[in-house]
Amino acid sequence: MKRALPVLALTVVGLIPLWRYEPSSGATATTEVAAPNPSSSSASGSSGSSSAPPSASTGGSQVVAGSTVNTEKGAVQVEVTFDGDEITAVKLLQQPNHPQTTAAVPKLIAETLEAQSADIDTVSGATITSDGYRKSLQAALDAKGA
Amino acid sequence: MRRVEHIMGFPISLRIDDADAAPQDGDPVFAWLREVDARFSPFRADSEVSRLDRGELEPGALSAELREVLDLCEHYRTATGGAFRVRLPGRGLDPCAVVKGWAVQRAADLLADRGAAKFCLNAGGDVVVAGGPWRVGIRHPERADRLCTVLEVTDGAVATSGRYERGDHIIDGRTGRRATGLLSLTVVASSLTEADATATAAFALGGEGIAWAAAREGCEVFAVDAERRVHRTPGLPSAGAEAPHHSDRRASASRETAMGSGKLRRDETT
Repeated sequence: MKRALPVLALTVVGLIPLWRYEPSSGATATTEVAAPNPSSSSASGSSGSSSAPPSASTGGSQVVAGSTVNTEKGAVQVEVTFDGDEITAVKLLQQPNHPQTTAAVPKLIAETLEAQSADIDTVSGATITSDGYRKSLQAALDAKGA
Repeated sequence: MRRVEHIMGFPISLRIDDADAAPQDGDPVFAWLREVDARFSPFRADSEVSRLDRGELEPGALSAELREVLDLCEHYRTATGGAFRVRLPGRGLDPCAVVKGWAVQRAADLLADRGAAKFCLNAGGDVVVAGGPWRVGIRHPERADRLCTVLEVTDGAVATSGRYERGDHIIDGRTGRRATGLLSLTVVASSLTEADATATAAFALGGEGIAWAAAREGCEVFAVDAERRVHRTPGLPSAGAEAPHHSDRRASASRETAMGSGKLRRDETT
């Protein structure tokens, strides 16, 4: 199950070229030209004619959002950046907030080291020698219950 | 019913809480562990392991149990990129790191097969429990009389690797140097075979062993690194903690470390 969602995401990515070439039926797929063109925003509005058509035909950068796919774990939606026909980036726009989707990437929680004593049944620790056992917590537990 | 015996140089504490439990119920456990000591100890010249090491055993003459142990050793050697290995340069074959967990798990299986339902078997700090909840304290790596956390385990195994009892005895097989990247590392798994070998192998890997162990299927990890920082997996069965699903909220409230490609990356903003 852990791998189901990544596989699904890749499947969705695989479908995107199809959506891309069917804009008429793409009611759920939005296609927009994202080519970040610094000259148009920061530079003094230079003659727009040269940078006007950064569309797919010239192989410019294009960002395509896939349709939302509902899975039993929740909604999945990906966004793919194309450079020409080459995929340069894939981003998950929506992903289920479910432990199984995060389990694929091991996550660790950082805490501070505590020294505590508590009511316990047994002690786990580095392999203790029979000599070390005599003054160990486990020996005290064994003696207490005997 | 409680019994303590010393075999293979470490204490073995058995506690069976079933109403009809009798001291002799522990006999198969201790008999099996004595047999393991005789057959698999590298410190006994007449053991199967020593004879194999001297080339006195043909591959076809290995017992099924020794083949199983050697297969496990090979599995963990491959899985750790060579950090965990049982044949170090200049030393004889030493499968102790795998034999212990494997043998004690088998001892627990013997108990269960004979009808024991509620028991706790502790072999020198490695624990198998059944029919819990059992409260398993993890020894503080620097204070022998203190715990650093308490787990609650119903059925399963807890193994801890560290260097505070026997010194720097775990070697990183990739470098031949002593593994010193961690103070202690604990693994909770469904079997002690997996928990013990994973804890030892992760300890040999050092700091990167935390992420490596956390990524292993079915393993929960509690580790103290050389800087005394604690790293644990969200699913660790901490005593008194909420159910695993709700613990995600606790996780987001505390500091988290995310990992990519097996490398631990500490969150530097907190």
